[in-house]
Amino acid sequence: MARMVTGQLGAEGPYWDGLAKGRLVLPRCNGCGKWHWPAVWRCGDCGSWDHEWVEQPLAGTIFAWTRTHHRFAGTEGLALPYVTALVLLDAVPIRLNGLIEGSEEHLGIGAPVTGRTTFTQFGKDEIPSIRWMLA
Amino acid sequence: MTMNLSGKTAVAGVGYRQFKRGTAPWPERGVLVRAIVDACDDAGFDPADIDGFVSYAGDHNEPVRLMPDLGTKELNWSAQVWGGGGGGIAGTFGLAASAILTGQAKAVIIYRALAEGNSGRLAAAVMAHHLNDHMVGVGMVAPAQACAMRAERLLDYHGVPRSVCEELVRASYFHGSRNPEATAYGKELDLAQFRTARWIAEPFRLFDCSRENDGAGALLMVSSEAARDLRKPPVKLLSVAQGTQKGWGDLLENDNIELFATGGFRGITDKLYKMAGLTPADIDVVQLYENFSAQGIASLIDHGFCTYENVAEVVRYENLIAPSGRLPVNTSGGNLAHGFVHGIGTAVEAIRCLRRESVNPVPGARTCLLAGGPGAPTVSSAIFGVD
Repeated sequence: MARMVTGQLGAEGPYWDGLAKGRLVLPRCNGCGKWHWPAVWRCGDCGSWDHEWVEQPLAGTIFAWTRTHHRFAGTEGLALPYVTALVLLDAVPIRLNGLIEGSEEHLGIGAPVTGRTTFTQFGKDEIPSIRWMLA
Repeated sequence: MTMNLSGKTAVAGVGYRQFKRGTAPWPERGVLVRAIVDACDDAGFDPADIDGFVSYAGDHNEPVRLMPDLGTKELNWSAQVWGGGGGGIAGTFGLAASAILTGQAKAVIIYRALAEGNSGRLAAAVMAHHLNDHMVGVGMVAPAQACAMRAERLLDYHGVPRSVCEELVRASYFHGSRNPEATAYGKELDLAQFRTARWIAEPFRLFDCSRENDGAGALLMVSSEAARDLRKPPVKLLSVAQGTQKGWGDLLENDNIELFATGGFRGITDKLYKMAGLTPADIDVVQLYENFSAQGIASLIDHGFCTYENVAEVVRYENLIAPSGRLPVNTSGGNLAHGFVHGIGTAVEAIRCLRRESVNPVPGARTCLLAGGPGAPTVSSAIFGVD
């Protein structure tokens, strides 16, 4: 089971539960239909407290990225250099970060990716997280 | 009731002590007390009469603990601007002015102190404020990485030429190389070294990143009326703005699509210029908080000095250096080449340059914009002026 460093930040508990079980679920406001990320308890747009968590496919395009070369403390579990990509999902207007695995040949803003869920070693912890693969 | 605070308060004294990271000769509070007394000596003001304090970014030195060293008679007011990074630096002047103009305090010290031996690495402290499992799970643990991702989008998607980062860094080193207080004193930027230095997080190489120093800075603020009786010419606070807008903030990288690659200032700059009754064309010199080179560029764009389209025409080495450039930036060397005590050196230089005390003078300068830490969830900026 996942052991996390900081745990749940706000209202995104179902996201972590889903990711740990291999599913991406994201929240939609049942009042106005807005997709919220970060997750909220109350929709700041319509005032609704009612949100539905909906499973989404792990597919999108790269919005921004960086390749890390410096060994920052805590990242010892990752081989250098590594690429982190922020991906705009195809299905909903939400961006999610993940490490790139596999070929980096077509890395760039706008490049299509698909993803999978896994765990990232951080110190003694296992953080549920996303890996993106370039098409 | 609304009241425009423009011109009603002034900085009357500055103190700044800087050391190589990890080498401060005293613990953090010892460095800070010296910087505060320096600021008071500069102004000709008795430290015991300071009755207010304000800092930012989670400074560890609680004002009450400074009282025995300063001989403080009354601690009437103390505050801190929220946020882990340098976004709050200029906002401290707004808080101090509010306290003075509402009679809560008469003489306020604005300060920031850092000694690695007490507070650890600054980068780690800033990140500890923001770190969460969304980030560590994808290898994002340092400010450099978070800013690098936004920089990549600024340079690639928004088409800002990578060369402008080099122009800014070169200008910083030009100024720093002439400043005996600076880490870069005597050393202009070696361009070949800059271009081939090791990668930190793409697009940043080593010299795109600010250096950390031990040290402390302190600025004494009083009413403009009280400042007239003190030793140095008053430098008035003409305007200040802090905060953010919908679509920018601590949003797990889901900022508004058009704001993502900015420095985060778009929501405050209209208020900043309006309070002072000035426009970017009226600013004579800029002290720019540049945690990383590209964030400095984004901040210049946000503050209206240039656009994505004409940035290469404005951000040129010759244009950024004193005394001849049309937009002198970071006349002490800034965070990149002067030194980095969480940006408080840029605030000190804002005062020095308007008092004609800068080692890189800007002839005739009457207005100086202090841009706070870019990329922070909440940001702040201020404009200072002399009569």
